[in-house]
Amino acid sequence: MSARPTPFLQLRKPVSRRQKLLSALAIWVLFFGIWIVASASGLVNPLLVPAPQQVFATTFDLFFSRGFGSDVLISISRVLIAFALASAVAVPLGVMMGSFPAIEAFFAPFVSAWRYLPAPSFIPILLMWFGTGEAPKLALLFLGVIFFLITLIMDHTKNVREELVETALTLGAPRHKVVARVIFPAVLPDIVTAMRQMLAMTWTYLVIAEIVASTTGIGAMMMRARRFLNTDEILSGIVVIGVLGLLFDLTFSALHRWAFPYLRKA
Amino acid sequence: MSAETALEIREISKEFELSGGRKLVAVEGAGFTVERNSICVLLGPSGCGKSTILRMIAGLETPSGGEIVIGGRRVEGPGRDRGMVFQAYTSFDWLTVRKNVEFGMQINGVPAAERRERAERFINLVGLGKFAEAYPSQLSGGMRQRVAIARTLANDPEVLLMDEPFGALDAETRWLMQELMIEVAEKTNTTMVIVTHDLEEAIFLADKIVFLSSHPGRVKEVIVPEFKQGARIADKERAVKLDGYSDLEAHLMRLMREEGRGKE
Repeated sequence: MSARPTPFLQLRKPVSRRQKLLSALAIWVLFFGIWIVASASGLVNPLLVPAPQQVFATTFDLFFSRGFGSDVLISISRVLIAFALASAVAVPLGVMMGSFPAIEAFFAPFVSAWRYLPAPSFIPILLMWFGTGEAPKLALLFLGVIFFLITLIMDHTKNVREELVETALTLGAPRHKVVARVIFPAVLPDIVTAMRQMLAMTWTYLVIAEIVASTTGIGAMMMRARRFLNTDEILSGIVVIGVLGLLFDLTFSALHRWAFPYLRKA
Repeated sequence: MSAETALEIREISKEFELSGGRKLVAVEGAGFTVERNSICVLLGPSGCGKSTILRMIAGLETPSGGEIVIGGRRVEGPGRDRGMVFQAYTSFDWLTVRKNVEFGMQINGVPAAERRERAERFINLVGLGKFAEAYPSQLSGGMRQRVAIARTLANDPEVLLMDEPFGALDAETRWLMQELMIEVAEKTNTTMVIVTHDLEEAIFLADKIVFLSSHPGRVKEVIVPEFKQGARIADKERAVKLDGYSDLEAHLMRLMREEGRGKE
């Protein structure tokens, strides 16, 4: 009896580490391969799609001889400041709304309404209110994420199991201690996950803010490059934003693992 | 066993408002007493309101009528004098076993040294001495229930309330836990009210069985397992062999069946 060959596509069978790594590598090699071939063969207009090696050379050049680093730092600080402000409001408010239905009943109708207003629609009025400094950018980023963050945190808080709350009550915990000592620690890992998701969204609004109304930052650099048909610089901007997003995401996921060791199974 | 009353349930009722304005009477005029240092088991078919009664004793639900009195005081809400162990796992995942057991005491301002000492004692009592620094996610289901029991007892409640505490465990673990409860009751003199629908569990654990009828929940019969002759039996296998055990089991089965028929 000969063994039947195992098919390459097996239903729901996990793949080996090696295959995972090779597959991940392969998709990127394929992507860059097609890009290199397309631009080298003249299949695409090099003015619109510069070769990848040129994009990397430009990225290097931007950082080391044209002071792009300060633009990147400005962008990062905008994201971090706005996100910190949004979190400082959203975490306590979301936890309180998820813990006390009376607080939810008051804020939820307001918060959900704002969620359906696209934050970029406020750009014109934010520019009129705050002028052209840092304030309108921070305000846009803040408005863009806060209502989603509040809602996510509230929902996660509501999912904290009733038995945990009741256990604390029958141990004699007063309400504020149930919130501080049980509900909050129980929901904290989910809060960090929600923040991780919303941080990605903050980057989206950052680029919008910098493209529409800024002379500094990664987005502004990209818009300047457009004026001079420097597509390689635009693509550099995209690459840098992508890498930064990835780094922030990895940082958050490392933070999650470090802060919540008890979630790891023995 | 002394006959001093620890807990008095006086003709309590509970109505739930259903959608559409209809009312569901879950419990109607249920009354019984629980003697100090005794184990009282609330037994009955599903829908007899036994968990609702336990939750009212805990103060997690408010009776629509009647009152519950513990140590001369009327129950008005949850409190540390009535600790509760649930069927679902309630360990605080972010705390080690030791910190879990210290939780209630810390909330109630017990000084650190005393806290540590009591936690140690109750962790050992439930047989988790080696796991004091482990996190709950590293423990089995039975061990997590042990944590919950130790945590509640360490908080020094007047009554320990348990709502089908071993319902989620496999049979073998359940026997071990039942025997553990007898041991705990003997060593700590804790008054317990335990809700179950498991006849065997009721007979083995109870100093007194309160059998409830269903829809609405009323006290159908209060049974003292006479075959134990006023003493607890720590060994499940031995209990089953005693004269009178099977008679009581048959009696409870008949009660269960009567209630089951009533439902259809």
